[in-house]
Amino acid sequence: MKGKKSLGDFLASLTGLALTLLISFALVIALILILSKTPGKTLFYFFIGPFTNNYYLGNMLNVAVPLVFTGLGIAVAFKSSVFNLGGEGQVYAGGLATTLVCLALPVANGFVGVLLAIIAAMVLGGAIAGFSGYCKMKWNADEMISSFLVSSAVVLIVNYFITGPLQDPHNNMLASLPLAHQYSLLKLFPPSKLNLSALFAIVMAVLVFFFMNRSHIGYEMRMCGLNREFSRYGGINVSKYLVLPMILSGALHGIGGGLMVLGTYGVLYEGFSAGMGWNGIAVALIAKNNPLGVLPAALLFAYLDAGAKAAMLSGDVTFEIASIAQSFIFYLVTAQALYSLVHRRRRAA
Amino acid sequence: MPYLEMKGITKLYANGLLANDAIDFSVEKSEIHAVVGENGAGKTTLMKILYGLEQPDAGTITLAGSLVSIRNPLDANRLGIGMVHQHFKLIPDFTVVENVILGIEPVRAGIFVDRGVASARIRQIVEQHGFSVDPRTPVHQLTVGQMQQVEIVKMLYRDASLLILDEPTSVLTEQEIGKLFVTLRSLQKGGRTCIIITHKLQEVLEISDRLTVMRKGAVVAVRRTADVPDRAELARLMVGRDVLYPLTRVKKACGDAVLELKDVTLTQRGRSRPLLSNINLSVHSCEIVGVAGVSGNGLGELEDVVAGLQRVTSGHVLHLGEDVTALGAAELRERGMAYVPADRLHRGSSLQSSVTENMIVANHHRFLRAGFLKRGKIQAFADGLTKSFGIDGGPHVPIGTLSGGNIQKVILARELTSAANIVVVAEPTWGLDVASSQFVYEKVLSMRAAGAGVLFISSALDEILGIADSIIVMYRGRVVAQLANDQNTQSDPNVSKQFKEYIGEYMLGLKDDFAPTNLKGKDAQP
Repeated sequence: MKGKKSLGDFLASLTGLALTLLISFALVIALILILSKTPGKTLFYFFIGPFTNNYYLGNMLNVAVPLVFTGLGIAVAFKSSVFNLGGEGQVYAGGLATTLVCLALPVANGFVGVLLAIIAAMVLGGAIAGFSGYCKMKWNADEMISSFLVSSAVVLIVNYFITGPLQDPHNNMLASLPLAHQYSLLKLFPPSKLNLSALFAIVMAVLVFFFMNRSHIGYEMRMCGLNREFSRYGGINVSKYLVLPMILSGALHGIGGGLMVLGTYGVLYEGFSAGMGWNGIAVALIAKNNPLGVLPAALLFAYLDAGAKAAMLSGDVTFEIASIAQSFIFYLVTAQALYSLVHRRRRAA
Repeated sequence: MPYLEMKGITKLYANGLLANDAIDFSVEKSEIHAVVGENGAGKTTLMKILYGLEQPDAGTITLAGSLVSIRNPLDANRLGIGMVHQHFKLIPDFTVVENVILGIEPVRAGIFVDRGVASARIRQIVEQHGFSVDPRTPVHQLTVGQMQQVEIVKMLYRDASLLILDEPTSVLTEQEIGKLFVTLRSLQKGGRTCIIITHKLQEVLEISDRLTVMRKGAVVAVRRTADVPDRAELARLMVGRDVLYPLTRVKKACGDAVLELKDVTLTQRGRSRPLLSNINLSVHSCEIVGVAGVSGNGLGELEDVVAGLQRVTSGHVLHLGEDVTALGAAELRERGMAYVPADRLHRGSSLQSSVTENMIVANHHRFLRAGFLKRGKIQAFADGLTKSFGIDGGPHVPIGTLSGGNIQKVILARELTSAANIVVVAEPTWGLDVASSQFVYEKVLSMRAAGAGVLFISSALDEILGIADSIIVMYRGRVVAQLANDQNTQSDPNVSKQFKEYIGEYMLGLKDDFAPTNLKGKDAQP
């Protein structure tokens, strides 16, 4: 039912993306040539490093997992023309909810505990984002600003829990008590941290794709996103779709945070998810808000991340080089994507 | 030697559409030249080429005897060609002066905009042409007619000697059209040349000296306007076949009331005059009630209220005898309301979505299995409608890529289903060509024949006279007249003309059958 675009249009949109990537990679290469004393080796580790062993490869894939969830969360919201800028807080809160459930049930069956923990993460993330959507519906408070502000507060509240009631007294780290080991997710690629949550991420991307493009609610959400006046005219309950996309978006963020705690860390670290919310926006923009496109977009971000880690360990550059490349991609992609989004938002308002 | 001569202009768009096929077009010095043709005939493309917005694949342009190349609108401006677009290109928060000088601001001391000089010149232009705008007013406070004047001033300020006006009358009221024509004549007297693109046949005959008729990317006739006997002749030239004109209507007995408005009032905070004031009307089955009025007199608000998109401040709306005042669009649609909105590009369609997605907006609930859409069924539904309504392009293309007439067909296909018992139609032929308009009228009449009641809201009096069984005239948010429109007002052109003038007086507020003083006298209640 989607408008079939001509091959030319498709290629044109890919060209823009390819150009963005090309410029970013060129920047990385230039930086390494300038900063590294052994540029050949550093370049090798940056670009090939992530594929040289299971550990690097698995960790790279694992970094992509939460990005898939946050990217999906943003894509769902943006497709509906609501703006969720509170991803940071929602991911972090998802981690907290998971930790609380697991610590409260130290001896439950692993499967039941994990399920409850993920549901808790989903509900808390959804509630936090949904609150901003509700304010938008009720008082026309800009959800872009309220979600951001609420998220900033949520981060501080989670920090309080980590450094206060949940802190592990036997450890100097800023982290909660460790979760019972039956809750840790199956490792897929030892010794790397890649775990079962990677499969959840793929399944979720497919589910979200079908939900957005084939379901009744997905159709109404997309129509509201494209043209709210038209949707109201057609009898769609448009105020509902100011809240629902926010709830779904927050829930996806929450799951992302919860799975990181369960799968990767087994404990709630302070600031464990910092940057995940913002990077989710970049991932969604690169994917042009297509849920299936989120998978490769998240992998791209993870690849830059892993490359920088490998180059740092085996070469002589710092990790910031990945951040520079990522932010460069972010700038280039948002510059074109925000332009069209703002236009759409104006029309849909 | 003509003033402007375009020779062998050919334009093939990337999508394979041959918009202009070796067109020869010429305009004499200081004449008013009309370019007429159906939607998609290639008029706008030809004018875009002249204004430098499109580049021709072949052909030459000669202006005042010398061969010119126009690569962009700046080139066109330099050559003295100006264009007044159908959709105005003005900045609402800027004043008239600021809008006019935008891009060519007179500068003082290197950095300051010299508003004094600009204002003086603009004031002079305004006075010279008898415009009614104050140069210091912000544009958003102007009426549509005044905005158009600003666009014209903009071109005169740039010393345009050849003005292209794209559909200049489509947004204007009758009086404003009159004023525009006075302006065009005065421009002509001043030695300027005007090209107007239009669908409105009557106006072509009234204002132009010569006309060029285009059809399917080619010029089919060039005439002196004085040599064209009447509208029917012109319509025949445009569409290449006889257009039914006027409509044939079969009188049918009206049934029960399907839609009633009782004392409907709509007020807006901060405005002393209500947008709608004590509106009473009823639409029966098998009846077309035409609502006439100059735009800005409550037609749009009435449309919103009956469609369930705007809550009334007081009063009641009844559907099939039941109070539906509090119901929204979704419930009304379920009860059998169909609605073809005036704003078909923003409200009536979602331009980036496919034709199919546009077709199911109101009834996608019917294609559900466990919360998911049945794609096969939807496809069959869309294919069927596309075929039966003759929509070009196919169900997969984004609706925004279709022509205006085809977009309206999609909306009609969606709305005019057998389930509808009340049809609200607003400005349904705005900007459409003769053949597309005819199609709209036929569909509306077929709904009436099938037993639906139709509320036909339009600021084009001609079409209301042609189609409605009874006519309501609105002025400043009030109903000022309720008239029957019977056969003899249509068949006899003289009677028809008188009737039109008669209604025109109501539309302009010169007459009022329900003036508040009368009302008090009639049903004064303790």
